[in-house]
Amino acid sequence: MSLSRSPSPVPGGGWASPGLNIASGRSSPTRAFPGSSGTPAMWESSRLKKGGGAGYPSFSTKNQSFFGRHMRRLSSSLPRFGSSPSYADKEKLGRGRWSVHNVPLLGRIRGIMGRMGRKVKIRLLMLLTLLLSIIIFYNSPMVYHWRRSTWLGGGKKIVIILGANVGGGVMDWKGAREWAIERDSVRNKKKYVARWGYELEIVDMSTKKRYAHEWRESWEKVDFVRTALRKYPKAEWFWWLDLNTFVMEPSYSLQDHIFNNLDKHIYRDINEYNPLNISHPFTETYLDAESQSPIGDGKAGSVNLILSQDCSGFNLGSFFVRRSAWTDRLLDLWWDPVAYEQKHMEWAHKEQDALEQLYISQPWVRKHTAFLPQRMINSFPSGACADNGNDTRIHYNEKDRDFLVNMAGCEWGRDCWGEMYNFRELSYYLNRNPWERFKEDLVAVIWFKITGQRVKL
Amino acid sequence: MHFALPPRKTSQPPPYLPRASRLPGLRRSRLKVIALAGLFFLTLIYLVSRPSRSRNAVPTPRVPKGNPPVVLVTVLDETKYSKAYLETVKENRMQYAEKHGYQTLLAKVGDYDLAGAPGSWTTVVAMRDALTKFPDCHYVWHLDASGFVMNPKLKIEEHIMKAAKLDELMKKDVPVVPPDSIIKTFSHLKGQDVDLVLTQDKEGLSAGSLIVRNGEWARFFLETWFGPLYRSYNFQKAEAHALEHIVQWHPTILSRMAIIDQRVINAYGKGGKEEEYKDGDLVIRFPECTAAGAQSCETQSQVFVQAWRRVFAST
Repeated sequence: MSLSRSPSPVPGGGWASPGLNIASGRSSPTRAFPGSSGTPAMWESSRLKKGGGAGYPSFSTKNQSFFGRHMRRLSSSLPRFGSSPSYADKEKLGRGRWSVHNVPLLGRIRGIMGRMGRKVKIRLLMLLTLLLSIIIFYNSPMVYHWRRSTWLGGGKKIVIILGANVGGGVMDWKGAREWAIERDSVRNKKKYVARWGYELEIVDMSTKKRYAHEWRESWEKVDFVRTALRKYPKAEWFWWLDLNTFVMEPSYSLQDHIFNNLDKHIYRDINEYNPLNISHPFTETYLDAESQSPIGDGKAGSVNLILSQDCSGFNLGSFFVRRSAWTDRLLDLWWDPVAYEQKHMEWAHKEQDALEQLYISQPWVRKHTAFLPQRMINSFPSGACADNGNDTRIHYNEKDRDFLVNMAGCEWGRDCWGEMYNFRELSYYLNRNPWERFKEDLVAVIWFKITGQRVKL
Repeated sequence: MHFALPPRKTSQPPPYLPRASRLPGLRRSRLKVIALAGLFFLTLIYLVSRPSRSRNAVPTPRVPKGNPPVVLVTVLDETKYSKAYLETVKENRMQYAEKHGYQTLLAKVGDYDLAGAPGSWTTVVAMRDALTKFPDCHYVWHLDASGFVMNPKLKIEEHIMKAAKLDELMKKDVPVVPPDSIIKTFSHLKGQDVDLVLTQDKEGLSAGSLIVRNGEWARFFLETWFGPLYRSYNFQKAEAHALEHIVQWHPTILSRMAIIDQRVINAYGKGGKEEEYKDGDLVIRFPECTAAGAQSCETQSQVFVQAWRRVFAST
């Protein structure tokens, strides 16, 4: 005779078996009163139920089927529900067995950890720490300070000077559109600066009495760059931006976009793109080899001024200067009364023309000036430089994700605010995050195909 | 076959375990520490010297070796002076240069294309040319053809351009153009920062005798001075007034300029007490001499030419 288990004591006597309190009508045992009448009552009811008619014992020794023999083992290995460890303690049925659901998560992890080797544990810990620190790094001000610091990210070394409040001041009132342009442009630069840790210097270009003389209009640029040089003694590069500009790709850092590979991006030989037909290089025999060379000394480190050329020559809507003795000299020489007295009638673009004049005539200026392809720092909308149609060297193309757009000359008969608004929206559209892309490019499209209705998610 | 008992240990156990590796410090546990430290060190090196930094480093300016120490520049204007006179000038420069191992650059008006500007502008471009021809010189000294070197013992680099000497010589906080220009020379300028040395006479800055220190600044200064818009402006005294103009309007030039006493490099044949030549002065000039007549340079300088020939021969 083989019993799969020892028989229970006499029915009716019994012990407190927690699994059997079916009809007691309560979900937890009354542990506070172990000797109370609750337990016998339970047994009574169960016996009544089981005993249906004949009053046979609840087990049969004669039942030799497979299930009969193995029922207990099988059922105890099955997952159980509704049993909390606090009162399963007494029997500890799950002890030593792998059961998925009755061990809480923490316990399970503890179990896994217990079985792991020390080495694996340490490695896992290191991995976890690394992951955690990366997450913390990118979701806290740490990333900002990293990018900002001079010797890590180098953000403090770059100052963006934004000429705001153009035309404000004594000359005229700004309308709602001008305010909107200014607000959007400034916000755009502020966001960009906050992301990469650069310095932002917003300067007031309003008409001032100092510059009211016809010769000195729009020469504030030079003075502002000089002031910024003094104000940010640690900065190396200064990026001038006109108000009508918009950073289309805020995810580009200037270091990645330009400075890390400066020598690859710039061209110093103006013959590469020469709308002004400047004869380059110098051929005067009294100049040394470096001044006669088309690329100066050819080293990226000697570049102190970077600008771009549009269809009609130099464009100073977006240019870089590096702090150096050379820059001081250039800013000093840029405005000269003798030059201006002779040329102010011809120089419609004032400081731009004066710089062209310096570049044409002064070998020391040419040696340290470099150009960037216009679309790297100064793309034009299709309205500017429009005489010859769309030019791939000049005009913005959203497929190439141009960095910055400069709505140059929009105040002369074009709609500045309209352009600014369009580019702002386009920039947001191009730089949607993956979730937005999923919603708009997939879910909304599928929804449209199914129901024929456009939805905004 | 069974071995119920483990084999016996040898009765003479080896005294120590044999060494695992040759170097005693390189145990497995220590190797890890060393590897970690090395990694840390490499990271540090990477952070300190990132590639972008070295590639974009500002190139250090070339330091001239001082060979020759000084280049003498004189423009020989054949329309203004007679041939014989210019020969004596040439001789004077050559002899002085030879005594100290200097070089000379004697240009003629017409050697350079001035784009229609007066011939006196040749002096500026000749100085620029001297920097190109002698890139290793320390100083370029322009001395006008109306002057002679009188004292061959004095050396430019020692008796004038030495920083300590310049500190003594230079006049601080004086009006650039006498008597009443509101632009004054810098009062905190140090001798070592001076790149341009010149003098004033009664009328203003004198470009007849000036010394420029070779370097980036010198190129900037001379090229700016030679700017086409200055040449075309019709300054009354051409390059001399252009010089006064750039010095007064552009602090980057003023801040490198020292004005020294006139007699040090620019004594005049006749004039006030401060400007008149005395024996032992380096230079004598006759700024107002004419091409011919009683006031011609030749007649004015006659006595002094004999004097310098005597002095040069005796030393």
